[in-house]
Amino acid sequence: MSKKKIYFLVGIAFAFSIFVLIIFFKSSCYSGKKELEPAKEEAQEEVEKIEPIKVKMFFFKKDSRYMKPFQCEIRYFRIRQDVYKTFINKLLKGREGCVTPIPEGLELRSLFYVRKKKILVIDFNEALLNKFPGGTSSELEFIYYFVDNICYNFKEIEEVKFLISGNEYKTISGHIDIENPFYPDYRYLRDE
Amino acid sequence: MNHYWTRVRFPPPPYKMLLFMRNKLIFLILCILFSSCLLSLSINIRSFDHQDFTRLVFEGDNSFGFKINNFNNSIDIEINKIANLKNRITRIDDSKLVDRVVHSTKDNKSTLTLYFKSKFKIKRNFVLEKPFRVVFDIVKSEESDRDLEPSENKSSKQEPKESNIKDEPLKNNKPPKKKVIETICIDPGHGGSDLGAVGRSKLMEKDIALKVSRKLKKLIESKLGLRVITTRDKDVEVSLDSRAAMANNQKAQVFVSIHVNSSFRESARGPETYYVSLKATDQEAFNLAEKENSSLGEAFETAENDDLKMILWNMAQTEYIKESSKLASFIQSELNILMYTKNRGVKQAPFRVLMRAGMPAVLIEIAFISNFYEEKSLMDESFLDRVANAIYTGISKFIYFYNNT
Repeated sequence: MSKKKIYFLVGIAFAFSIFVLIIFFKSSCYSGKKELEPAKEEAQEEVEKIEPIKVKMFFFKKDSRYMKPFQCEIRYFRIRQDVYKTFINKLLKGREGCVTPIPEGLELRSLFYVRKKKILVIDFNEALLNKFPGGTSSELEFIYYFVDNICYNFKEIEEVKFLISGNEYKTISGHIDIENPFYPDYRYLRDE
Repeated sequence: MNHYWTRVRFPPPPYKMLLFMRNKLIFLILCILFSSCLLSLSINIRSFDHQDFTRLVFEGDNSFGFKINNFNNSIDIEINKIANLKNRITRIDDSKLVDRVVHSTKDNKSTLTLYFKSKFKIKRNFVLEKPFRVVFDIVKSEESDRDLEPSENKSSKQEPKESNIKDEPLKNNKPPKKKVIETICIDPGHGGSDLGAVGRSKLMEKDIALKVSRKLKKLIESKLGLRVITTRDKDVEVSLDSRAAMANNQKAQVFVSIHVNSSFRESARGPETYYVSLKATDQEAFNLAEKENSSLGEAFETAENDDLKMILWNMAQTEYIKESSKLASFIQSELNILMYTKNRGVKQAPFRVLMRAGMPAVLIEIAFISNFYEEKSLMDESFLDRVANAIYTGISKFIYFYNNT
């Protein structure tokens, strides 16, 4: 076989391989776009779909140092963070006839769930420092009101950590260490 | 409707075939990669010489089953998976006892053989989770030297050993030096710009705490003749961490923090005495104390990690939990008698000021400033005298108990 023929065949092989590569590349673009469009529609559907779910929320009664259970409903968004937010806002709102152990003007700034450590980090505004009435019992009531309620209702959360305006603080008003996350202490709950 | 797919031309059949084959190939490669990830196990070996023993840790990226075979000169650890180690032979140069670890593989199983520089004995071995670790504490053994010798010599060697045991009590005839409480630290809560809880009549927690602390100091000094230090003797702000540090530096043997309580519930009343809880709040620190760092002193020396140091610093109180609980119950029962309250029991909580105290430590909440009636009592000087007296009685009962047990 002459050299020219060999060069010709190598050229054809090269051109063919480039052609095959182009087809592969094109196909990936094509299949990607095809899958992308319906997926978007599905995601939208999931966010919009709201189902009310039943939760057991615990509140302090005026005459008792234990929290007592009440059946409540929260709207269930398919985004996990929204469920927690709704739940915590419901705790902040409290319940008529019950004592809500939170200082005036307290608001939830943000929250995030650390899946690996099963910790829910809750960030409250400055009112937790400035408007807190002080006292060990107040601190414990505040902490376990949130920790017990959250951990009782959401089994994927094992610990709760508190931040204030996005920062870590040693204590709320000079007693309980809030640098570490809290496990629930169900001694505060009374199931009746 | 102008959907994307309405504009797409479907490729001819050979192209579909290629697409199918490509997807199959990718799936196959992913399967191989996934299964190899599941099957393989990488093990990291580390060792450290403690004063009495050598700790050898095998850390795996996954958990694994294992079997230990103990021989005269070596230990075989049979692992039920194929392990990946950097080298077939891992030399442990910085250990006085362990020489090398040799890795061998047979029938989809790995064996790690530990060779030692001298006779050895496994003191204990245990497993820790997250990450998965197999830990061996190995001690140098002189007894195993004797075991290897002929039985005739054994009996002759054992006799002097018995006589040594008999001699020991004679040598250590002096009783061990008794720990007696000589210094007490009183910590009046809050102070300065930190007002603590404030009552309806603007009565402040920081003032009550200081008053009671002064009274208590006088009582202990005059009646018990002990040295009393206070973390503040006037209206100044002292950080929580430096309060415990003061007590530690002054080598106080009892730490009593005086506070006034407040609650969101107006009906809340009665005295409360707390000591630190680690279990309910700091599981990691608790587990650490229970398992890996059985000796706190050694861990202090070896900890290079700041986090670990912090955890250990937080655990200064762990050693004294039992004594703290006893101290709390003595004080609480005296306060219950004074204030005619039912025993609500001594409570536990993760108090910042108590965590770092290296001695029996409690926090006393005299009464609720948020309660109308108790706030009135707190304004009464004679009531504060009686409170100081009750706390003094509780402390003196604890001192008697501590010095005599």
